[in-house]
Amino acid sequence: MEIRIKNLTKVFPGNPKKGIPDTRAVDDLNILVPDGELVGLLGPSGCGKSTTLYMIAGLLEPSDGEIWFGDEDVTDLEPEKRGIGLVFQNYALYPHMTVYKNVAFPLTNLRIQEPVLDENGNPVLDVDGNPEIKKRKLTKDEIDKIVRETSKIVQIEQYLERKPNQLSGGQQQRVAIARALVKKPKVLLLDEPLSNLDARLRLQTREEIRHIQQSTGITTVFVTHDQEEAMSISDKIVVMKLGVKQQEGVPQDVYNNPCNKFVANFLGTPPINLFAGRIQGGKVYIGEDCVREITPEEMEQAKAEGRNLSDQDVTVGIRPEGIVIDDNAKPNFHFKVDRILTMGRDIMLMSDQEFRLSDTKFVIDAFTKVSVGEVQAQVKPHKCLVFSLEEGEPRLV
Amino acid sequence: MANEVSKPKRRFNILSIFRRKERVSADAGERNNWKAWLYLAPTIILMAVFTFYPLINTIVIAFLKNYDYISQVHEGFTMENFGVVLGLVGRSEMMNADGIYESIFRWNCTRFESDGVVGIYLNSEGVVSRAYFTMNVIRYAFPNTLLITFITVPLSIIIALLISIGLNSIPAFKKFFQTIFFIPYVTNAIAVGMVFAVLFDYKGILNYLLGLGTLTWIDQAAPAWRGMIALCVYIIWHSLPFKILIFLSGLQNIDKQYYDAAKIDCAGKMKTMLNVTVPLLSPQILYIMITSFIGSFKEYTSVVGLFGQQGTSPGSYNMYTVVYYIYDMVNSNVQYGAAAAVLLFLVIMLFTAIQFKVSKTRVHY
Repeated sequence: MEIRIKNLTKVFPGNPKKGIPDTRAVDDLNILVPDGELVGLLGPSGCGKSTTLYMIAGLLEPSDGEIWFGDEDVTDLEPEKRGIGLVFQNYALYPHMTVYKNVAFPLTNLRIQEPVLDENGNPVLDVDGNPEIKKRKLTKDEIDKIVRETSKIVQIEQYLERKPNQLSGGQQQRVAIARALVKKPKVLLLDEPLSNLDARLRLQTREEIRHIQQSTGITTVFVTHDQEEAMSISDKIVVMKLGVKQQEGVPQDVYNNPCNKFVANFLGTPPINLFAGRIQGGKVYIGEDCVREITPEEMEQAKAEGRNLSDQDVTVGIRPEGIVIDDNAKPNFHFKVDRILTMGRDIMLMSDQEFRLSDTKFVIDAFTKVSVGEVQAQVKPHKCLVFSLEEGEPRLV
Repeated sequence: MANEVSKPKRRFNILSIFRRKERVSADAGERNNWKAWLYLAPTIILMAVFTFYPLINTIVIAFLKNYDYISQVHEGFTMENFGVVLGLVGRSEMMNADGIYESIFRWNCTRFESDGVVGIYLNSEGVVSRAYFTMNVIRYAFPNTLLITFITVPLSIIIALLISIGLNSIPAFKKFFQTIFFIPYVTNAIAVGMVFAVLFDYKGILNYLLGLGTLTWIDQAAPAWRGMIALCVYIIWHSLPFKILIFLSGLQNIDKQYYDAAKIDCAGKMKTMLNVTVPLLSPQILYIMITSFIGSFKEYTSVVGLFGQQGTSPGSYNMYTVVYYIYDMVNSNVQYGAAAAVLLFLVIMLFTAIQFKVSKTRVHY
């Protein structure tokens, strides 16, 4: 089911007497989660992503704005009536129940609607000629069947009789997903589901989450501060900062065309290298090196969008993978390599480049011949991004 | 000196009580040992004098025959004290050939209401015997104690639980109500008993408010069941604050996320309480259950506070409790009191053991 978030705002009231101002945790947020897709809400801690998730779940009341599930406005609906599954950051498994009971618990609360049948198995009609509907609880056998099916999907069948504290973090996480999925919710919400797992398990589990999401086709919203995690499994990511949406889109698009310095800096490991540079006559310089030319198309587009590309000091961002060392081509960027880190597939060059604004790290192909000292390199134009010095301004090129 | 092998001294190290694994080197332990004893000395001495000695002495006295507390004289060891307490035997005295009464024991019946000589008999051989009746716990004290326990403990726990859950979920006036509910705890039991005595007086406020005329509750030879109702109301009211205090602190430690999870899982309020709150509060509930079981087996001040005597009329024992019996016996027959105390100890131990056993599968730490 499609989720539409319109002008969603959450203000946590401060205390005017003590001089604590109101906190706008989420500010005028608009997001569209297409049916059956996995959307990652991404941002540093305190950016309002979890608050947004809890508002979608109904556990927090929005100060303003609307949340729509398909054609239904659920803004004021109780969480239990929204038909959602939620996986909490620390799982919140009931410690006193076995895994089986944890997974079965949502089902014991479920009331299913069924047409009333007569002796011949035909639906009984009421006065208006509509089939009569009765609500009933699930039977023990039905619950058992669903619990076992769900445990099979998340592979926890062998732990059903254990208590949560007898399980490892990854197993607990799968139980939490099973509990969220068992009542076949229309929407699955995951709050930093991988943050309590170790690195290897995190890789494995995020694949599993993606697999479960795709096999069940459930619309999923996923909150994380780990951009790699979000980029790897999301159909779409939403980058947030201080309660404000920065950019929304397909992960690779957002990575390639970040809308501002924050998004560019936030996405990618190692992060983008930032340098103090300038635009001069349609060319981008770092020191004396002209690292990039601005094409006429880019000029035109900038003009149309009201971005000023006249001569000015700028911040130049070069992605770590954005350079090539090719002795045959004409170099347009030079820097001093201080250290070389071999990482198997790649090698990483660390540098104290004189115009750097952040740590300078470049990742290049392992077959490239390079040694510590002065290096002449070519900057890939599409990996070189230009930002205004002003924080929060849209990207220039 | 060289051939002298020094034996490692094995001394009892008090600090070893406080650590699970002896990671601290033996040297450090030895060095601090006397200090630890020194710090503990005031407590140990006071407890030895006022707790351990009386405890052991009570058990010894329980087995002494015709023990006189002042002169410390007794006639050897016996099990008869327990028989008297349980109403199995009573004391009779028979005049011997020298005209002196000698004490004998025989089967007793429990129909007598108060202590003292209940009959002087002259048998066919011209021997005079006097039968005594000594109060036992079977007719009133033990049944009343059991009744009080099994009425007040479950009721007060349920009421305290509901009040705490209520208090925990109201945001406004929380502290105010917490204070209100805590007041009985710091109020003197006897004083409160007197207030309740006024409430439950046959010309009292309760009858007036409920329009019950001059229904007797605690005096004017009121029937035992009405006296018991008044007593239980009083005991429950007085025992609530401590329970609420413990439950509230327990409730505040429950992670709010479990309630969010329960909401997402579509559990209703009642179901959340039974399936989430109560199990997560089970350690506190067990603690309260055991302490209040012990407490209500020791019920005494409430009876004195409310009735001022053993029953609803002078000379009546219908509100008697085991501990009331023990205190009564301290003056006249301390060995019976000691025997009753030992029996009470065994009963409490049995109930506590049962509770621990039952709770093993139901308490989730």
